[in-house]
Amino acid sequence: MTRDEIDPITLTVIWKGLLSIAEELGVTLRHTAFSEGVREGDDFSTAVFDAQGRMIAQGPFSPGHLGSFPYVVQAALDYFPAESLSPGDDILLNDSQLGSGHFPDTFQILPVFLAERLIGFVCNSAHQADMGGAAPGSQKVHGVTEAFQEGLRILPIRFVRGGEVDEDILRLVLGNVRLPDKVRGDLMAQHSANRAAAVRLEQLFRDHGVDTVEAAYEIILDRSEASMREALAKVPAGTYGFEDYMDDYGPDTEPIRMAVDVTFDGEGGVIVDFSRSSDQVPAAINSYLNYTRAYSVFAIKVFCDALWPQNAGNMRPIKVVAREGSFFNPRFPAPSGGRAVLQVRMFDAINGALAKAMPERAMGAFSHWSNPNIGGVDDRTGQPFIMYDAIMAGYGGRASGDGPEALCPVMNCSNIPVEVHETHNPVLIQRLELIPDTGGAGRYRGGCGLRKDVELRTESATLSLLGDRHDFYPYGLFGGAPGAPAETVLNPGRNARALPSKGLVPIARGDVVSLRLSGAGGYGPPGEREAEAIRADLRDGYISAEAARRDYGFDD
Amino acid sequence: MLRIAFDIGGTFTDCVLHDGDSGRVRALKISSTPGDPAEGVLAGLAALFSENAIDAAEVTAILHATTVATNAVIERKGAATALLTTKGFRDILIIGRQKRYETYDLYADKPTPLINRGNIFEVAERTGADGAVLEALDMASVDAAIDAVLAAGAESVAVALLHAYANPGHEGAIAARFRDRAPDLPVSLSSDISPKYREYERTNTTVVNAYLRPVVERYLGHLQTALKERGFKRELSVMQSNGGMVSPALARRYPVRILESGPAAGVLMASQIGQALGADHVITFDMGGTTAKLGAVDGGTPAVAPVFEVDHVRYRKGSGLPVSVPAIELLEIGAGGGSIAAVEMGMIGVGPESAGAEPGPICYGQGGDRPTVTDANLVLGYIDPDYFNGGALPLDGDGAAAGIAERIGRPLDLSAGEAAWGVHLVATSNMEHAMRLVSVERGRDPRRYALVAFGGAGPLHAARLARSIGVPRVIVPAAAGVGSAVGLLRAEPRIDVGATRVLGLDDGAAPTIAEVYDGLWQRAEAELAQIGDAAGVRWSRYAQMRYAGQGFEVHVDLPDGPVDGAFPALAAAAFHDAYERQHRYRDDRAAVEGVDWTLVASLPNPQADHWLFGAGEVARRGRRSAWFPERDGYVEVPVRNRAALAADGGGVGPLIVEDPDCTAIVLPGDRAAIDGAGHLIIDIGQGDD
Repeated sequence: MTRDEIDPITLTVIWKGLLSIAEELGVTLRHTAFSEGVREGDDFSTAVFDAQGRMIAQGPFSPGHLGSFPYVVQAALDYFPAESLSPGDDILLNDSQLGSGHFPDTFQILPVFLAERLIGFVCNSAHQADMGGAAPGSQKVHGVTEAFQEGLRILPIRFVRGGEVDEDILRLVLGNVRLPDKVRGDLMAQHSANRAAAVRLEQLFRDHGVDTVEAAYEIILDRSEASMREALAKVPAGTYGFEDYMDDYGPDTEPIRMAVDVTFDGEGGVIVDFSRSSDQVPAAINSYLNYTRAYSVFAIKVFCDALWPQNAGNMRPIKVVAREGSFFNPRFPAPSGGRAVLQVRMFDAINGALAKAMPERAMGAFSHWSNPNIGGVDDRTGQPFIMYDAIMAGYGGRASGDGPEALCPVMNCSNIPVEVHETHNPVLIQRLELIPDTGGAGRYRGGCGLRKDVELRTESATLSLLGDRHDFYPYGLFGGAPGAPAETVLNPGRNARALPSKGLVPIARGDVVSLRLSGAGGYGPPGEREAEAIRADLRDGYISAEAARRDYGFDD
Repeated sequence: MLRIAFDIGGTFTDCVLHDGDSGRVRALKISSTPGDPAEGVLAGLAALFSENAIDAAEVTAILHATTVATNAVIERKGAATALLTTKGFRDILIIGRQKRYETYDLYADKPTPLINRGNIFEVAERTGADGAVLEALDMASVDAAIDAVLAAGAESVAVALLHAYANPGHEGAIAARFRDRAPDLPVSLSSDISPKYREYERTNTTVVNAYLRPVVERYLGHLQTALKERGFKRELSVMQSNGGMVSPALARRYPVRILESGPAAGVLMASQIGQALGADHVITFDMGGTTAKLGAVDGGTPAVAPVFEVDHVRYRKGSGLPVSVPAIELLEIGAGGGSIAAVEMGMIGVGPESAGAEPGPICYGQGGDRPTVTDANLVLGYIDPDYFNGGALPLDGDGAAAGIAERIGRPLDLSAGEAAWGVHLVATSNMEHAMRLVSVERGRDPRRYALVAFGGAGPLHAARLARSIGVPRVIVPAAAGVGSAVGLLRAEPRIDVGATRVLGLDDGAAPTIAEVYDGLWQRAEAELAQIGDAAGVRWSRYAQMRYAGQGFEVHVDLPDGPVDGAFPALAAAAFHDAYERQHRYRDDRAAVEGVDWTLVASLPNPQADHWLFGAGEVARRGRRSAWFPERDGYVEVPVRNRAALAADGGGVGPLIVEDPDCTAIVLPGDRAAIDGAGHLIIDIGQGDD
């Protein structure tokens, strides 16, 4: 069977079948996982690869792992060439450089065979609750200066052979993490989800024949590439640059410059270059190139070709580079545990650049999210706990309307319900609410910031902060105002103390940490906002009467 | 014994009359009257009665399913509603769960909440996860909130406080205050409507209930009055999403429970017909104009899900409003007769966009110019252009062929027939993925299941679907076109009451489980009192359980018998089995916990078991050309109605079985037969080909 002989109907059935395998793999993983990040936050990814290690289909999950997947599988194949693999194997790795940029993301790559012949791989990654290291959750930023302090580093290993999990390896891993039951549950959930997907991939090959499916792969990749090139060629040729800053990489440190230059060649190629950014920093927030690639590809795809299924084909025309030793392409062993904080900012930077080429697709900067962990011992049970949280607020104003309130930005997680946190952790959440007057004014208003106050209800714990935008506000576009800055406060209303956006803070029973996210940027001049929209904002309390007067000159 | 059932849908209202003595079933399909749905019903009943010389006073039961609640949500035409929350948590409804339903689409919006932020008010109070009161309810803040609710002119109120599932005290006190100050204002409490944890889902469910109360109150009140005026002596019964009937009094108080009323009735019909034909395990397949709905029946019991979504965008999971009350589990995808086919990325795409009733498929000749699944089925010869809906709507076959050739065939270099076949196959393949989710992915072995196909388009695709997934038998019920209304005739009164109590299943758990079920039993008794005669009530229990530390639960049917010291171990064993069936993995070492506990009370249906469909139909026989890839394209095949097929003692595919409300395709190698009640049975691969 050659590619010319595949009819469009068979192609359709094969392609949709692959996408559904990748999606179902993720649904199984979500339903069987133990860590909050996976089960409530959807912080995982899935993909199907061909026998050469090319990515053919992905599930619609976290784009951070998605964009790094092709490189992860290539790295695993460097350690395990195809001829060394057997049915019943499953490969495990979590290295930050080879993987998706920090240790908590574990990848499992399972080779699939049909009658002794390797026909491809099914893979998934999941954010583990802990991988050991300096702080609960393995994401401590400040004070961590090399990767070896961040926990257990696993280069590609054969975690399962002959269908049996290697108990020695499992013991080695579980002996190095804070929540061994959860990590064990998630490693097993990853493996069994892979196995179920492998059965379906085998069936797809049996139904259509190996030659037909492999010929279909070539068509899928080539068409995807052509589609992406066509979309990229429509963007006016030129280089579009943008610069923004992260506040710092810990208390009393310098801002980090995030500079990007995006060059469209007018013929269907694009280069995203972060070289002008700061050098790598001695704190666990550097973005390894795989991670930089992931979010750069994501941003280009959102702007140019949002709904085409992602695979190795449509990633071909997109080149992502950064100077070696820079913040976006650090040298090992640069620490990187807290790099998740960057995903929103990589998009913001590229969005700022592309606003000059595609104003109708651009939006004001996001409210910056917050990813705190509180870890310690729950003195009601004597057991260790880690409260992993993801707090997300508004989108920037867009060319077509206001930024939505409280919607997950780039990475696409769910939040974790207050009642779930309080059932499983010794905390009391005192409030979770939008902060009026924080969304950037504009013809289209940016979404509001969000405030979450958490009280500790056990003897003591460690609070690990991971936020930003205390000093550098989310920008507005085309005359839109920036969003209000973020703040983090310990014990508001009593001995209130301002906390940095990142860092470790010991806290004790009764302490309240108040996380207040920035607002998102506006789009277009505030003077062009319709009176009816301002009235609705006043009625619903998104803005106050003073802000209406100050920002819009509105007095009803 | 005469019983009537009516199912009001968006386009049609189906009325069915069943004479329990003779078994005769008469059906009537009439256009719905969206302005006043009762008007269509009454007109339909009048026609049915005069045609069959029946008096309203003779009717012993009136059974009803309706989309009135669903439509009010989708069209945002419910009551002006206010919400009261715990202080500091005003925005739970606005925040939602925050996930985009399309990862790569940053331009999509969230679902519009049913209440604007301006109509959400806070009260000072706090209850903890264990139900302990951490801050007493501040009545001054309650009074201030009530002032604000009244000033806002709300017609209905929802109250959803944190952890109210664990301790309903504060919500109850607020309701009492409303009774004093505004006795006519309906108040929905989260601890009553959906006492389960996860505050957004519970709050939204309560808000949906409040939003619907005045609407359903008006609607049912009007209908009850009108029926009484027409001389009906019996009270109406209303179908709920869980597949059980309730009194209008309960439906008016819990309208959120009737959102999936019609689809639930369809599954029930499929379940009962399956059982009558010896198939306890059934996959249900209801394909209409815009969507296909798939459900499952295990051992005669329809699968029930603890939460579903209403008002989806493109049927994407996570795009709608979650409703956390038990409902018959249905997977809905955008694949119906009206689904539009197009070439995208060099492939054929079908749906979820639909041509709807207006303009409809090209072949309707009402201005539609984009090819649909129905157009493809017409070009393939599966539908007779002169006998669609009994000949009521002549179809334009040439127009359909030209549209498919132009829009699908030309870009892909296929003939009209090949292109139409591609559309049919891709639509079937989309449904196959959905069916795989319902069966294999949920631990159901298709080889042990029968596929019951109904809805206007279901029987056209059913046999191919059954083949692709390995289901050995397809059943196309008699009266498949009015399946939901027939399902109503077979429904039992049923109540599901549930509560959240996160509880490790160790040996000491029995007293707590017993306490939970005592509370549920009292609630169920109180609801049963509103249904009327509760003689012969049957009780059963199920729970949502998981391995301790997980976030998603598995449905587990709990053992009958007393909740004694042995019960937790029996329940845990049932969980391990259910988990392994679904996920192909078990961990006997891991701790198990129960999360939601549900008690079911059902009452026997005093129905006759005697059914006779389509009696008196004249045998019709013919031939036409239809596309079968097994025969390399178009081939002349026999066309039979059920009466003819019954007289012939069955037949072997390729074959078309065609009745006014339903056409079924029998593939080469499959055997078709009509059973005594008029149901069409297709055995896959059992014909001599």
